[in-house]
Amino acid sequence: MSSTNKSIQEKTVELTKLVAWFDSDDFELENALDKYKSAEKLAEEIEKDLLSFKNEIQIVKQKFDNKS
Amino acid sequence: MEKSNPQPIFSVSDFIAVVNQTFEYAYPNIEVEGEVASFKVNQGKFVFFDIKDSGGSIGCFMTVWQLRVPIEDGMKVIVSTVPKLTNWGKFSLTVKSVRPSGEGAIKKSFELLKMKLDNEGLFAPERKRQLPTIPSHVAVISSIQAAGYADFIKIIDDRWGGMKVDVANVQVQGIVASDQIIRAIEYFNQQELLPEVIIIIRGGGSADDLSVFNDELLVRSIAGSRIPTLVGIGHETDIGLADLVADVRAATPSNAAQILVPDKKEIIKSIHFQISSLLPRIIQMINKYSQTNIDYLDNIIGKITIKIDQHNMYISNLRNILSQLNPDQILARGYAMVRGIIKVNSIIEIETNKAIIKAEVKNVFNK
Repeated sequence: MSSTNKSIQEKTVELTKLVAWFDSDDFELENALDKYKSAEKLAEEIEKDLLSFKNEIQIVKQKFDNKS
Repeated sequence: MEKSNPQPIFSVSDFIAVVNQTFEYAYPNIEVEGEVASFKVNQGKFVFFDIKDSGGSIGCFMTVWQLRVPIEDGMKVIVSTVPKLTNWGKFSLTVKSVRPSGEGAIKKSFELLKMKLDNEGLFAPERKRQLPTIPSHVAVISSIQAAGYADFIKIIDDRWGGMKVDVANVQVQGIVASDQIIRAIEYFNQQELLPEVIIIIRGGGSADDLSVFNDELLVRSIAGSRIPTLVGIGHETDIGLADLVADVRAATPSNAAQILVPDKKEIIKSIHFQISSLLPRIIQMINKYSQTNIDYLDNIIGKITIKIDQHNMYISNLRNILSQLNPDQILARGYAMVRGIIKVNSIIEIETNKAIIKAEVKNVFNK
């Protein structure tokens, strides 16, 4: 797993947890604004990552025309 | 004087060897088309059949491992072969590969192999593995010159980023294609760091072009892959054996790309939607808490009001009782108050509702 994608996945999981908190029994109005700001920041980071990352395409050197 | 003989004299074995060398030189690889007759497999290893047309018939020999597609008597085939004279002087074709020829034979061969592999359970739904939701390292087996490959790469680049894509450049049609694809599958399965998915792709083509993906060994290789497989071959309506055996089948190479990775634009849209739904949720919770507080206050005020009303009622009752005891009220009902000493000839004061009267006592009687 490449570090870039792992990071996106981790951030996505974190964002999902944050969003789920708003619907959970743990919801507290006192903390809601801080959680909201964290979620908004994470969303911006994920969007930035998604738009900037490129796939790394590599043609393998191995030839497959004969048994090696 | 002895005359020298210009013609060489061969032993039988040497002559057979020379004839075979001549065949190999003259016909290193020929293809012969004809109809299969007298097909049989001996000891589960050796395949014998004749290939014939209206004008002749030749015996063919091959091993069972070289037979990659099922054939049966009456089927039209093309054999790739080397002619050979056996040690017993019999001419035959040593077959390297055989493939069905013509639409009917291709279809028949396909159905026979499909039934065989299906009976072995290779297409069973319970064998299918799930692909990772967001893979970060994948392997692609295709021809990098193929249009289908270009479509696939364009779509994964449009939809996702940060993924490591190893590509095995192989032929995807022709007699060597199946073996190259099999070697590529083996190659990826032997890597220290295994890719999370193997994607085998090829654009559309004729039934003959796509028959590569109905090769028995290739189908078994896909089935035996440690790495989950995604196969996107040909057009939507082309369903080959490679499609059936794959963990996931895509209709086309483009569809394979769509299945493989999520669309980042959709994810960004979804994230925006999730974030935009949070503030209204906070406001909704504030309103909920406010309403709860209002309800509590209403309840308290209601209880206080009831207490006040109860006290007011009590005071009102007391006031009524007091009112009943007021002397003016008694005088108003017609009674009178008498003040002074009650004895004959004494002067007393009589107070009524409307007057105060001085009067003299004339008589006093006991009741």
